[in-house]
Amino acid sequence: MSSARRAAAEAWAFRARVEQEAALRFDRLAEVVASFDPDSPVPAMMRRAADDERRHTELCARLAGRLGNPVVLDRDAAVAAIAPRSLDERKAALYEVVAACCITETESMATLTTLLASEQDPEVREVLHAISRDEVVHSRMGWAHLSRESVAAEVAFLGPLVPGMLAGTIDAGLFGAPPADEDPEGLLRLGVLSLSKKRAVFLGTLEQVVFPGLEKFGVDPEPGRRWLAHAAGLR
Amino acid sequence: MHFKKLFQVLVLGGAFLGAAAGCAQANAADKDKKPPADAGTTDSSGGGVKGW
Ligand SMILES: [Fe+2]
Ligand SMILES: [Fe+2]
Repeated sequence: MSSARRAAAEAWAFRARVEQEAALRFDRLAEVVASFDPDSPVPAMMRRAADDERRHTELCARLAGRLGNPVVLDRDAAVAAIAPRSLDERKAALYEVVAACCITETESMATLTTLLASEQDPEVREVLHAISRDEVVHSRMGWAHLSRESVAAEVAFLGPLVPGMLAGTIDAGLFGAPPADEDPEGLLRLGVLSLSKKRAVFLGTLEQVVFPGLEKFGVDPEPGRRWLAHAAGLR
Repeated sequence: MHFKKLFQVLVLGGAFLGAAAGCAQANAADKDKKPPADAGTTDSSGGGVKGW
């Protein structure tokens, strides 16, 4: 098996798990948000998003299997809440929505649009297209919730907590060296970014989309920026 | 990479959707309501969500 195929199979298997967790998270958050903001359009978006993520789980798992890495999904999987314990329920929900949607789903959208700007094998491209159509909404529902909360409640508490969200979203190797046998072209054809491209997309999205977005709604992006400069070794 | 376009579509597009319904209310009653104990919240710092 080529190095690209092996790495891509692993990446799609990882995505299948990430999608499964997202489905569980959105089901839970939909209920919590509806409990304090019954007029919000966000809970309905989240319930639809949870269904999307279940579809994405299957798509990613199938692709991983075709590439030689069959995924065994735990049907009884549960997903842990991630907010600091000190937050009340409403603030904890905001924390989790910002981490999951404003940061992670926004990053996923940037990855998908970057991938779709180059060519893939037809089956891979079809999956990328299907998923990207849905992820737009998943990111938007985060910004929708943050903008509502910025009017109704206090959101500034999030600023110093953004570094924790960022630390939890990247994988350890993001700022390291790529594997010696990395094949960027081969990876791209199979729907995966090379490490340097992945890093560029991650940084660009934070600097030009996520941080300005947080700032727009009253969340100080500076603690996040400082964390990033440190993590990326740009000090 | 069209970051500017992503900002418009995702951030501004999302805010627009959020504003389309009635405003959220500040809740005084259960202001200090804690998440259920089994919600698995982490300690002081909080965590993040892995993505693609
Ligand atoms: Fe997804
Ligand atoms: Fe998603």
